Amino acid sequence: MAQVVFSTWGGTVVDNRTVTGEPVAASYRLPVAFDGQQPLRAMMGWDGVIVFDKDVDVPAMAAEYMQRVQTLFCCGKCTPGKKGTKVLADLLQKVLKGEAKPGDLDQVADLNVLLQNCKCTLCPSSTKPVLDAVTHYRADFEALCDGSRQPKNEKYLHKITAPCMDKCPAHIDIPKYIEEIKNYQYSDALATIRENMPMPAVCGRVCPHPCEAACRRKNVDDSVNIMVLKRTASDYEWMHKMQHPANTAVMKKKTIGIVGAGPAGLAAAYYLALQGYRSTIYETLPEGFGGGMVAVGIPAYRMPRHILQRDIDIIQTMGVEIVYNCRVGKDISLAELKAKHEAVFLAPGAHRSKPMGVEGEDKGYKGFLTGGIDFLREAYMGRPTGMGKKVCVVGGGNTAIDCVRVALREGAEESVLLYRRSRKEMPADVWEVDGADEEGVKFEFQVLPTKIIVDANEQVTGVECVRMAMGEPDASGRRRPEPVPGSEFVVECDTVIPAIGQDADLSFIPPDMGIDISKWNTVITKYIPLKDAAGKGLNDSMGNPLSRTLITDCDGVFAGGDAEIGPLTVVACIGNAHRAANVIARYLEEGKAYLTEQEIFEDLLTYLGVYDKNESVAWLDSADRAGQKEVHGKARASKGNYQEVELGFADSTAQAEADRCLRCYRMAMVAL
Amino acid sequence: MAHTECCDTNKTITLTIDGTDVQVPAGTTILDAASKLGIKIPTLCYLEKISTTGACRVCAVHVEGVARPMTACNTPVKEGIKVTTQSPELEQIRKKTMELMLVNHPLDCPVCDAAGECDLQDTCYGLSVSKQEYAADLERLQIRYDWSLLESDPNRCILCEKCVKVCREITGVGAIETQSCGDRAVVETISGKPLDCDFCGNCIAACPTGTLISKPFKFSGRPWSFEVKNGICGFCSSGCQIEYHVQNGKVARVTSDDSTYNNGNLCINGRFGYSAFNAPQRLTQPLVKGVDGIQKSATWDAALATAVSATKEIVAKYGAAAVAGIGSPRVTNEESFLFAKLIKEAVGSANLDSEARLGYAQAQELQAKMIGMTGATKPMDALEQAGCIIVLGSDLKAESAGFGYRAIKAATKHDAKLVIASARPTSLDKFANSSLRYKAGSEGFVAMGLAKAAINQNKAVAAEGLDAFKQAVSATSFDQIQAATGLDEAAFNDAVSFINGQVAVMYGFEFIRSADAAAAVTGALNLATLTAADVYPIDEKNNTQGMLDMGVAPAAGGKDLFAIVEGIEKGEIRCLYVMGADLLQLPNSRKIAAALQKLECLVVLDLFPTATAQLANVLLPAAAAPEKAGSFTSTDNRTQSFTAAASAPGEARPDLVILGDLYARLSGGAIPSLAALQQEIKPVVKKKLERPALAFTAPQAHAAGSMTLLVAPFLRHNGSYTSWSENNLLVAAEAVVRLGAADATRLGVKDGDNVTVTASGASVTLPVQLRDGIPAGLALAPTHFPASGISGLMTKSASLTVTIAKG
Repeated sequence: MAQVVFSTWGGTVVDNRTVTGEPVAASYRLPVAFDGQQPLRAMMGWDGVIVFDKDVDVPAMAAEYMQRVQTLFCCGKCTPGKKGTKVLADLLQKVLKGEAKPGDLDQVADLNVLLQNCKCTLCPSSTKPVLDAVTHYRADFEALCDGSRQPKNEKYLHKITAPCMDKCPAHIDIPKYIEEIKNYQYSDALATIRENMPMPAVCGRVCPHPCEAACRRKNVDDSVNIMVLKRTASDYEWMHKMQHPANTAVMKKKTIGIVGAGPAGLAAAYYLALQGYRSTIYETLPEGFGGGMVAVGIPAYRMPRHILQRDIDIIQTMGVEIVYNCRVGKDISLAELKAKHEAVFLAPGAHRSKPMGVEGEDKGYKGFLTGGIDFLREAYMGRPTGMGKKVCVVGGGNTAIDCVRVALREGAEESVLLYRRSRKEMPADVWEVDGADEEGVKFEFQVLPTKIIVDANEQVTGVECVRMAMGEPDASGRRRPEPVPGSEFVVECDTVIPAIGQDADLSFIPPDMGIDISKWNTVITKYIPLKDAAGKGLNDSMGNPLSRTLITDCDGVFAGGDAEIGPLTVVACIGNAHRAANVIARYLEEGKAYLTEQEIFEDLLTYLGVYDKNESVAWLDSADRAGQKEVHGKARASKGNYQEVELGFADSTAQAEADRCLRCYRMAMVAL
Repeated sequence: MAHTECCDTNKTITLTIDGTDVQVPAGTTILDAASKLGIKIPTLCYLEKISTTGACRVCAVHVEGVARPMTACNTPVKEGIKVTTQSPELEQIRKKTMELMLVNHPLDCPVCDAAGECDLQDTCYGLSVSKQEYAADLERLQIRYDWSLLESDPNRCILCEKCVKVCREITGVGAIETQSCGDRAVVETISGKPLDCDFCGNCIAACPTGTLISKPFKFSGRPWSFEVKNGICGFCSSGCQIEYHVQNGKVARVTSDDSTYNNGNLCINGRFGYSAFNAPQRLTQPLVKGVDGIQKSATWDAALATAVSATKEIVAKYGAAAVAGIGSPRVTNEESFLFAKLIKEAVGSANLDSEARLGYAQAQELQAKMIGMTGATKPMDALEQAGCIIVLGSDLKAESAGFGYRAIKAATKHDAKLVIASARPTSLDKFANSSLRYKAGSEGFVAMGLAKAAINQNKAVAAEGLDAFKQAVSATSFDQIQAATGLDEAAFNDAVSFINGQVAVMYGFEFIRSADAAAAVTGALNLATLTAADVYPIDEKNNTQGMLDMGVAPAAGGKDLFAIVEGIEKGEIRCLYVMGADLLQLPNSRKIAAALQKLECLVVLDLFPTATAQLANVLLPAAAAPEKAGSFTSTDNRTQSFTAAASAPGEARPDLVILGDLYARLSGGAIPSLAALQQEIKPVVKKKLERPALAFTAPQAHAAGSMTLLVAPFLRHNGSYTSWSENNLLVAAEAVVRLGAADATRLGVKDGDNVTVTASGASVTLPVQLRDGIPAGLALAPTHFPASGISGLMTKSASLTVTIAKG
């Protein structure tokens, strides 16, 4: 096991420098080798210093750290930050040059206090590792001061981050765009968003916004309404008839074939276009129904179609072609696609409904629909859904909620949701569940459908269910819902829609192409072999290897989105596809599919965790979080009413909400 | 300023500051709450009129229970908090922060323009910052000497960002931004090229140090060496409250305080136009044309006697109707009143008018008839309460900047929707929810299209005469409207979709000076009536409204401007008094020039040797706005009085004095005093009709050629007044023809090339300026340069069919 030489990370000082016996054990969520090869020797960041290699020159590293903060990232927009980090950086440079006196080092602690009055978090957070270094490596600093030792020249890498932008799978520079909104620079804010998010109107509306769960303002009172601020920037553009900036890249000859015009396919095409590569997207659905799961899976009252289409149109104007009505595997084979383009990106999404595992579901009963996602798609496309008057939807995710709410809008007299756990445990977003509640959806929690009941004509007449209760904790300590004997009952209905989940339909991938498919029905891509001190591989929250190049085992074929990650979110697919676009461009340029050090660093920070929910953030909680306006009342879900329910912010509300942001930038730097 | 506009500001919050309880509305900042108690917390980056920044960190206070200092300027209050504004710790923080601010700050106070009015000096002094613990390597930043009118020394900058925010939030320009990182962070133009903006100088006013300074003012004196006198700006119709800084009787600079009605905001004309007052071309002594036709200097007595005897002679010979007067939108109300009295009473002629006859006068006659009052129906600050502002045919900032700033504030800070209909790109387009770019000359159809759409989209109220109006407009289809305007029904529907809350209809130059002005203005007023809107007519000049209120218009049976010119041509009018107006820059200038030659007596009162002045038999040097007392009335009916701040050059006299003398000599009465005139002027009472009725004037289709020239006010000038201002000329030196890319390509011209514009048999050759957003088939030329000859191409309306050729 790699030994920690010294650390102040996480608020605990671990000092094994002079330990003679057993060193103090400490481990951090970091790989032993930065990119699987170069040993990670030390790290400095907002939480302190971690030294793995005793030969690292900590004073030199601290000096470099402060120099980079001051010259590369300090915004200069507050006095202590601008001048304080300058004084510190110059002081530490003087130390390296042997021009400082040991007493000068006292100023580090003095400025550390003064910098707590900074406007934002970057500069105050940057004094933490420097002060730790000066405090614990004082003798090493002083040896430089008196010239008895020369600083070492070492390789450092830095990365700027913030808890929100780290947690955002697309890594949007959230503090930047929020500050731009605060400064009334809506177009600039949108440009910032688009650097990592080509569908801002979509992710300004339907994103589960993991960023907000990592917002440090939450440690004061409540998170900043990051998602609706994104919507504000995006809506400002079309509400002022502004055009998306034109693509100024010089277009190159090589092209990319993309399977699926969903968020991943569109995002990859967008970022490839910005790098001068034309893509052709092959989409199964007809024109007007692009957008993948956003289009077919998210109803129009959450994501108005003209606004979605505008995002798609913009992507097309960048130099992207979309071929509609073209199912890869049927209308064109994957091999043909590969022959036609220099690279192929597979982003078919996860559109196949999973079975419920209930008696009678495979009998083809009238009123038993294939799945939630199919129901939403048919409703969206204005085709007969097969729905009756009393609808039962089974499931607890956002798709299930979308189904019960769409059922009302399609004219259902009763719309019931059956879920086997409690309301609190629903994976669906709370506000979506509340929305369904307000519209008159009925809920049956902690029930398990066991059998589909039909009449003589094989028409569904009800679902037999059994009530569930929490059982005893199992071996893992988790309590699972278990059927309560004798609690069987029937929910009368004429339509049952299973909305248990989806997976990818990968039947278009011929087995002979060498593309591996996992047991979860996802496309397997290559990854960086990152290992922790215990020798265990580093995985992301979905259980996939942490840092993936997204190239499959078939040369020139890449994969992304739900079909690669496993069914997740729009924002995750976009982040993943943006990464894929960068790798594809490198592949086309250099013939190699690889990740840059910055990309790997990004993944490592996500793995390490930038947000600390236990951090005590000193701030006055005197500005409440603003919520967007919403249409209320049952009428909003009346038959045929797909008008948008959430109405966004007035600009002045957005500006005030943006002012709540604490701008929690911080810089990490590693020595390799 | 309330910190947040989304919280319930009706709620009252009680907090304690330095042991004293205070109650303030929710959303108030700690700074404002403290100020209510008379507790002063030092600030540097705080500026009430812009969004908070929190850059300097000097206003740090302690809030009990919060383990870090909070900045008072941008922290809203909270119920029950206990705030400490003074403590040894806070003093340390503030002092050390100031020390940091002063690290490498240049010690050039002796030659810094801001010395004596430097907030940095004052704050250091106030906090007794007398030592320096910190040091850093000195890296000097480049001083921008290459900007026009402004100079930027970033080494003096404390990066408070006031300039950046004033530029973006107040004037809507956003020309400058903080660039680069860390200690090298600097306020720079976004392009990195020399500053290219409105040159309003509001950034100079906002700068707390000597970073951004006025080049024309540089080294002209220490702030305390000037006499500072309040005045009302004499350029556009916004009526801004200003301060003249006077030395040796001359205006050395103009500023405005943030506590004024205009929040201290000025435009280039207000801030820099003063160099016109000091222009070497100013007339300094009376001139009388000799028999040789050459104007020679004369004593006041001789000049006045010449004018009066010539006038009396003509009256005796041909009757009083052979005399006419052209008044001025530049002079005071009292002077206009006296001018009218002079012509109508002392001379006894009904022939009195002004350049307002080009459109504004008729527009006001229509307003009087249709809505019962002239000028705006509300003062301009009511724009901030509007839910929707519809701007018709006006580039607000170019025509009347104060209105432009208010509209920007309403749109950006008060969530007003903005609809702009204009033939040319305007400086407010970027804030517009709907920009209707119509074909110049189709203004009447534009107004009708909006009215029809408002009715169709249920955005109209049940106005008086609605049924008849609907009937009348139904005769014109949207197809016909599209043929005239180039705008389809969807565009009009989209525009009216933004109508909500209190609506304001502002109409300006293109409507007032339209070839179809009657239909255009009637249409604008109909739209206002249909939407129960406040009405704001916009005019470029400072006292057009006041002049009309004072009765500078034809008396019963009298001739108007056009009839006066014709009367001169026909020999009916032989004596003309022109005050503060250059008739040779009006449309049809060649015809007017020929007519003026026929006059037996031309008496001109002016500041400058204009083309008209040079034809005068008697030329009387007048005083500019800062050199006299009186009042101006802005187009929103605010009448503001002022006293003289500076001295007129040489023997020049205020028009009031000149007119008084002429009046006495012509009438045989006494010289009327300012006080007597003010007594005599009846208070102007205006009231909007409670139920104004719709009226219908059918718009006229104009057969437009392939190229239309629109001669309109441009930014950076005001009338021809500022064409005498060296400062304005530095950033807009000459007349140009602005073209869009399509026409430039078609003509094969690039920026700076010459083009020849021909219309009605006359041509002018001018350099080309390429501009984004000018539609194909439209060229723009400025109204500001009389010598350009552009007015010689025009007949009456602001737009005309022309041919344009390269070279």
